[in-house]
Amino acid sequence: MKTYKIVVLGDFGVGKTSLIRRYVLDEFSDEYRATLGVHLYKHADTLAGEDIEISLVVWDIEGAPLPSGQTKRYIVGASGAVIVGDMTRDDPFSAMWSAADMFEEALPGRPLCLALNKSDVAVIESPETVTRMKRRYDCNAFETSALTGDCVTPMFHDLARSILARGL
Amino acid sequence: MTELHSDLVLDALGLLAVRLDDDLIVREVCGTFLTVPTGTDMREFMPALYGLEDALHAPDAYLTMPFVQIGNDRDEPVALTVRRDPDSGVLWLFLRDVREESEMQRQLVQNHNSLSLAQAELVKARNAAQKADQAKTAFLANVSHELRTPLHVIIGGSSILSKPRDTPLDPQEVTDYALDMHESGVLLLQLVDDLIDLSRSETGNLILYEERCDLTEITRAITALCEDIPEARHTTLQCEVPPHPVWMVADARRIKQILLNLISNAIKAVANLNGGEVTVTLDPALPSLTVADNGPGMSEEEIAIARQPFGQPRAGVRSKGTGLGLSIVDRLVTLHGGEIVFDTAPGKGLAATITFDPERSRNDSKPSQNVS
Repeated sequence: MKTYKIVVLGDFGVGKTSLIRRYVLDEFSDEYRATLGVHLYKHADTLAGEDIEISLVVWDIEGAPLPSGQTKRYIVGASGAVIVGDMTRDDPFSAMWSAADMFEEALPGRPLCLALNKSDVAVIESPETVTRMKRRYDCNAFETSALTGDCVTPMFHDLARSILARGL
Repeated sequence: MTELHSDLVLDALGLLAVRLDDDLIVREVCGTFLTVPTGTDMREFMPALYGLEDALHAPDAYLTMPFVQIGNDRDEPVALTVRRDPDSGVLWLFLRDVREESEMQRQLVQNHNSLSLAQAELVKARNAAQKADQAKTAFLANVSHELRTPLHVIIGGSSILSKPRDTPLDPQEVTDYALDMHESGVLLLQLVDDLIDLSRSETGNLILYEERCDLTEITRAITALCEDIPEARHTTLQCEVPPHPVWMVADARRIKQILLNLISNAIKAVANLNGGEVTVTLDPALPSLTVADNGPGMSEEEIAIARQPFGQPRAGVRSKGTGLGLSIVDRLVTLHGGEIVFDTAPGKGLAATITFDPERSRNDSKPSQNVS
């Protein structure tokens, strides 16, 4: 079975690690612990309702408002990306645009999806921006909460389906 | 240097060198700080190599990652370097123990990020405080304006009535002035009452005096009361309630206030229509109350404005009333643990539905004193 590399990108403190640990380990901690470099999680899963087994290596990449040169090196060979934003922030989208642009430029044709995170405590104040991003990157957006687990697994499954659909 | 010596040197440096073939299978291992059996697929040991297969086939393949942690637990980090020797074409992978430097580096990153996040929170709090301050100023300006209009009517009317004049006023004129002043006085009283309610809800002093009350009876009574509102003269007011009592634990006076506000708003919305209709429905299931009209309706933005104190959803169109009704309804519904949903669109009428917590209608529900 082929193992797919998925990278998780976004500003620091937006909840990338929490989303991954919710998906892979089904656990949550509200203690903020910065990720240094990359942390890799290997995870085998079955796509809900389709009985398709998948093997993923999820890359938890050190967050930054703008992708660094090292981030660009980390994403080499990725099959897909999750772009995470913290919806409690005044401007959650700038860092998401930057990360998504960088990923699309480096790996054109590879799917991505948007995690509109911390949905348990925030409402999306600019749904029109989400619509624009979805259209621009031809992707889906998920209102996720690592705390409650809302939409976390469906989001990773959606990305995996897009990867398989593109025959990557 | 012998193999033993090279292992000792590499161990002292915290290094592991692994020779890989083109399929990324381990062929040779130098150093012992990690155990990597020969013959294994290096990707299983170092999943960072997944996805990099094509890149590593290049004759000048080179990649480096300063801090890599692997595994679902918080394992020790390593620095990873993979390079193809340009002369021999052999692919080497190097792992270096970076435990000490990584913890220091991580702490630096953690401190930097925490400071930035705290700073962003402070900016957000400052902006919110400024916004609240502006809202308060606008609110006070609105209150002054709303107080001045009826006060002017009272002062003007009383001045005319009290001024000695050569020709006495027509009795009808006297009555008209007196009625205008009375109407303004009633409006002022209502405004003051609303302001007190609003202020109490803001400061957490609005108290619900709960009891078991019959929503059927309340809905009937308030709908009948609203038939006397002057604007309701040409409006068909319907009351759809079940033929039996619907009991709920609530503050009956406040539920009446909620209904009165919603129904009078609906009546005002259809007052100028030919064939205006307002329907008040009590659904015993949840329970829920709906006040629907066939008026001009509102857009989402207009509803948001109408829910603000003194919010006038239509620029230049002032509705009769204090402009506080819907804000107070919002707070009273919330205080009862309910929620209000507006189903409306321009030209499609408006239906406001209040849903209460089903627990409140349970037979064994106990009244409590809720304070906002």
